[in-house]
Amino acid sequence: MGTTRRQLIVRGSQLAAGAALAPAFLTLSPRASLAQDKVTIDFPYLWTGPEGEAMQKIADDFNASQGEVEVKGVSNPDQQRQLAAMASSNGFDISDGFDNQIGTWADNGAIQALDDFISGSSYDTSDFIPSVLEKMSFDGKTYALPVAVHTTLLLHNTTLLEEAGVEPPKTTSELAAAIEALTKVDGNGAIQQLGMQQPDFVSFAYSFGGQWIDDQNQPTANHEGNIAALQFWVDNVLNKYGADNVKRFQSGFGEYASPQNPFYTGKVAMVTDGEWQARFTQQYAPDLKWTAAPIPVPDDKPELEGTSSIASSIFFIPSNASDADAAWAFMQYVMSPDAMRDFTVALANLPTRQSLLKDKAYEEIPGMHYWLESLSSKNLKAMPNVPWGQEYGTEITSTIDEVINLNKTPEQALNELQEKAKGLAG
Amino acid sequence: MRIATHKPVPPAVLGVLFALPWIVGFGIFQLYPILASAYYSFTEYNLFKPPVWVGLENYRELFNDDRFFKSMFNTLYMTVIGVPLGLFFALICALALNTPSRLQPFYRAIVYLPTIVPVVAATYLWRWMLNAQYGYINAILGGLGLGQPLWQEDATWTKPALLFIGFWTVGGTTIIFLAALKEVPQSYYEAADIDGANWWSKFWNITWPAISPVTLFQLVIGVIGSLQYFTQAYLFAQERLNTPSGGPEDSLLMYGMYIFQNAFSYLNMGYASALAWILFLVALACTLVILGFAGRWVHYEGD
Amino acid sequence: MAEVVSGAKPISRPVARAGRWRKRTKFLVRELAPLLVTLLFVFPFLVMLSTSFKPDTESFSIPPRLWSDNWIIDNYQRVFDAMPFWRYLRNTLFLSVMAVIGTLLSCPLVAYSLAKIRWRGRNVLFILILSTMMLPPQVTMIPIFIMWNKTPFMGTYWPLIVPNFLGTAFFIFLLRQFFRAIPNDLLDAARVDGASELRIYFNIVLPLSRAALATVGLFAFVWTWVDFLNPLIYLSDASKYTLSIGLYAFFSEHGIEWGPLMAACAIFSLPLVVIFIFAQRQLIEGISLTGLK
Repeated sequence: MGTTRRQLIVRGSQLAAGAALAPAFLTLSPRASLAQDKVTIDFPYLWTGPEGEAMQKIADDFNASQGEVEVKGVSNPDQQRQLAAMASSNGFDISDGFDNQIGTWADNGAIQALDDFISGSSYDTSDFIPSVLEKMSFDGKTYALPVAVHTTLLLHNTTLLEEAGVEPPKTTSELAAAIEALTKVDGNGAIQQLGMQQPDFVSFAYSFGGQWIDDQNQPTANHEGNIAALQFWVDNVLNKYGADNVKRFQSGFGEYASPQNPFYTGKVAMVTDGEWQARFTQQYAPDLKWTAAPIPVPDDKPELEGTSSIASSIFFIPSNASDADAAWAFMQYVMSPDAMRDFTVALANLPTRQSLLKDKAYEEIPGMHYWLESLSSKNLKAMPNVPWGQEYGTEITSTIDEVINLNKTPEQALNELQEKAKGLAG
Repeated sequence: MRIATHKPVPPAVLGVLFALPWIVGFGIFQLYPILASAYYSFTEYNLFKPPVWVGLENYRELFNDDRFFKSMFNTLYMTVIGVPLGLFFALICALALNTPSRLQPFYRAIVYLPTIVPVVAATYLWRWMLNAQYGYINAILGGLGLGQPLWQEDATWTKPALLFIGFWTVGGTTIIFLAALKEVPQSYYEAADIDGANWWSKFWNITWPAISPVTLFQLVIGVIGSLQYFTQAYLFAQERLNTPSGGPEDSLLMYGMYIFQNAFSYLNMGYASALAWILFLVALACTLVILGFAGRWVHYEGD
Repeated sequence: MAEVVSGAKPISRPVARAGRWRKRTKFLVRELAPLLVTLLFVFPFLVMLSTSFKPDTESFSIPPRLWSDNWIIDNYQRVFDAMPFWRYLRNTLFLSVMAVIGTLLSCPLVAYSLAKIRWRGRNVLFILILSTMMLPPQVTMIPIFIMWNKTPFMGTYWPLIVPNFLGTAFFIFLLRQFFRAIPNDLLDAARVDGASELRIYFNIVLPLSRAALATVGLFAFVWTWVDFLNPLIYLSDASKYTLSIGLYAFFSEHGIEWGPLMAACAIFSLPLVVIFIFAQRQLIEGISLTGLK
């Protein structure tokens, strides 16, 4: 009798598992590869939504274009665990990311140098914009290829600017005046409309002549331009309207990639943003009237005009890729002029091939010309690839946090950051 | 009589055989990891290259690491403030529910329900409840004429915000208190009523001694749990695309999160192991301290 | 004594009125306090449901309102469109059931050894088991990850399942307390009859402990169901995600769109709430037991 009861317990739990068990057991076997002639490679991409769809389309097109490699694409927007997967026994074959990761990852041995693939297949890289391609290298080797490049401009809500009688600002003093004219505060000090949304300070600092890492790969966190950029925000927004009021106002902002984006709803009149806004505004705010121009520069530094940060979206092959050759084949396809054009037009990203810069396909996107023009500026800035780049990035973020909470003055905070950064670099 | 030829298996062998699953599991999933963790803590190891012995370097680095101190502070905050407040709240709820009402099973069920809601869902729900502009908590506070903190943006309020989630999921403890309260013989209270004792003196002299062993147990469990605090803070600080985040000014960077970030975002396995070992020692110390002082306030029957 | 002293005083009118007032507050406290407390715990659920059935524009009203003039179900539709809910549900169910099986196979065995087999090492073992309960999982997490990382099982369910089959300290502790209450005479009588320990375990101890086993099984189920950290570390393939990780991924893909997010939260909580309604008594009795050493 006792035995039957024991069986009941066990059988009962088996019954409860029911239909769930059989199919799930299949997925237990590690790397179940089907016996096929085709090589299957895993391609998790960080993109989601429309960007993810464009990415998936490239993979599908590639699969249809040939019969040897099958790319299994899946959206996996978890940057936090990408690296862990690259160190595991169950990683992926190819993925995408941003160029600021190259230094740390190459130094760790997480990603493969592509030089042998490039020379082995006599792949022609001369069409890539030289300054962008240069950013793909670390220690003299090329570790990734760029599929798209991004610059930052200041977007203006034309309706709000006209209402307030403000011209798009060209200098920082004009910007300060514009912010003041475009900010509306109610009787309690609560902000109803903010002249400018908080910018990404790393790029914002470039327009003040700032710099984060110098030519000798040494940190320059407390560069006077960096201090000036943060000080500008503290003086013209935080101290004027109250850091708490600004935060409270920001907490009610809608989702970035949605019609509730504060720039589309008119909650902020100006915003610094990238070229994808040409597509986003079309999708989420078709009625919005806007223009874009380079971020204003200090009145006494006209030579900085046209300054923008430049960053690129990259493709890389992790060191633990199960089939690097197949991954390289797919990468070549992604970088081909046709695929790059399709992808960058779909997302309104800037292409990295010089031959595509004048392509008619981009004319179809309203406003895209602002960013295409920005690429010809002499003042395009980026941080060089250093092994400590990612940790530095984390530290910069928390330093900026302290400044916008007014816990420390920009100078104080950036001086401390510089000390920490020296430790990271040394 | 049957012929008992085979010798009975000695109890020691039987005991070990029955306990074998756990002994094996202990070896693989506890003992080995603790020792391995000690070893890794003396190395630099990023999974891509074999570990390199660096001696005490990782431990030395701890002292120059602001985020180590910050995360330790945040975790101790949740432990020293969060756990006692949680126990207090649970006790208040248990006292309120401890009525002869026929609806009591229903009340108990409702109070317990939040604890089985997946933590991920509970945390997102509270992020919405605590939204500075559109959230209900601030609406209620505003209605009472109180301040409306920026629960998720202001570094001084992010941890109190987490306490809300803790209070909401206090049901398990409440039910344990409730069970303990029921154990107290009603005759004690009747006797006290005859003596004209007030509510407080009844609580202090009868109820509290009776529930103090349970409180101790919950305190230990709570402290150990809060030293591991991870999911709620991780999700509270999370932004889109899941880049490593510790919330405003790292105010939500819990010790467990910092270990996780070092291990799985930066792959500093050696440094993360050193952090883990410190946590091990802190957990040990906390347990010993609590148990050491327990004699002063915990009453066991027969004392 | 106090009674005698106060009783000696003539009862004045104000005191009598105070007494009536006290009675009334006592009644209020007794009947209203539980209701208030319950309301406190229910309210967030109402917010979750209300937001999930409202269009986004209505969620953003100041002050917030629970009621809506046009309820919608679009948010739920969006959740089902955006992620493979049934697959996540199946994965989670699979893992939870495996955890229950593993727990029920291993923990009672160990508990039996501690409670009913008289051997010299058992006290040491018991203290060892108790002390592992005090060990934060973050301490062992990294070497265990590195260990699995060297096997081909990384990215599969094995790292999440195997530990359950090797016993969980808390459950062993619970079951040991339970087994100890079973009279030894019963077992000794069986031993005299020549029954082996295994027979005694299966035929006497387990059948007598069904309530405890059910409680432990339920806990194992719920714990695995809501687990976040382990799936976060070990699962990288979206097709293997559990509900917790699925919800987390949903957030990172869609950001804070409160309507759909709250709908997703409601959907994710629902299966457990259903289980809870059925197993409510068992769970709560079990919980009460765990507190009383």
